[in-house]
Amino acid sequence: MRQTRRRTVIALALAAVLMGGCAPKTENIDINNDKNADAVMGLDYRDFQAAAQEMVQSLIASGVLAKPGGGRYILAVSNVLNDTMQHIDTDQLVKKIRVALLRSGKVYVTTAVGADGPEDAMSMKTRKELRGNEEFKQSTVAGKGEMIAPDLSLSGKIIQRNVSIDRERQQVEYYFQMTLTDIKTGLAIWEDEKIIGKRGSNKSVAW
Amino acid sequence: MKIYVSMAAAATMLLLGGCATEQPQPKKHASVVNVLDAACGNDDIVVKDIKGKRRKDGFMQVQVQGENTSGDYKRLEYRIIWYDKSGFQLDTILSNWTTVPAYAHQPFVINTVSPSTRARKFRIYIRNEKEMLCDKQEDEQ
Repeated sequence: MRQTRRRTVIALALAAVLMGGCAPKTENIDINNDKNADAVMGLDYRDFQAAAQEMVQSLIASGVLAKPGGGRYILAVSNVLNDTMQHIDTDQLVKKIRVALLRSGKVYVTTAVGADGPEDAMSMKTRKELRGNEEFKQSTVAGKGEMIAPDLSLSGKIIQRNVSIDRERQQVEYYFQMTLTDIKTGLAIWEDEKIIGKRGSNKSVAW
Repeated sequence: MKIYVSMAAAATMLLLGGCATEQPQPKKHASVVNVLDAACGNDDIVVKDIKGKRRKDGFMQVQVQGENTSGDYKRLEYRIIWYDKSGFQLDTILSNWTTVPAYAHQPFVINTVSPSTRARKFRIYIRNEKEMLCDKQEDEQ
């Protein structure tokens, strides 16, 4: 009986070791040299990076960031809709664009105005709560009429379309669409679209 | 005999020297600066011209012209590193490798702008299937 139990334990331990040996090894990605690695049917950081890069390039090349008389435009980030089957935080795209535009020297991004209220709620809240509060030196509290209203608004959409090729293969198309609107006139002064297409097995799930 | 050989060699050098055309030197403070003094590439891809200029809005613009002399479509990649006036590299997503199509027996063009108005110099790399075709740097204007 004791011998049988010992054999069972050894067999289980051996099985665990063998199974562990078969499991794919976990490794960190070198994001600076990962272009030729396996593509995935869903959107990954490489796709967001490529889309953001193309959008920024297109926006700067268009010349619309040159403010007459010099200085920087104030940009508000509006909604970027995720119309894909994936759970995407669109900031994966938008943040890259914002950082690049800020560094361009032509744009400041406001966090006090957003499509769903101020992006940085604290900046608005502190002004209201601290104004008139005797605990705070009032000369250090932001006064009324000091915030700068945005000139431009950035909006966009990410669309996904799945096309079946045959029984085994499918094609997934992603459309990154962006628009820059002049808030004063309501006119779209720049627009662009980048398409990323992927073909692969039907078994791969793109969501 | 030796004297004749030396004279012939000297005469050939003089003749060849007379035939060679002088490479146009980039003008200082010129609006458009030519970066390429001789074509670069390989048997299939020839990069004929690389030039840069500063636009009115302060951004730099770079244009590369070349040709795919082969009968196959090539997926080229290019990367531009941008530097400020002190020679420090500008950190930007626009310095990532970017693809450009080069169709069979057709010219191709790369047209790009700097990520910032602080850019003063650039270095461009062009490659095909990991083979480096061109590595050129624009000198101080």
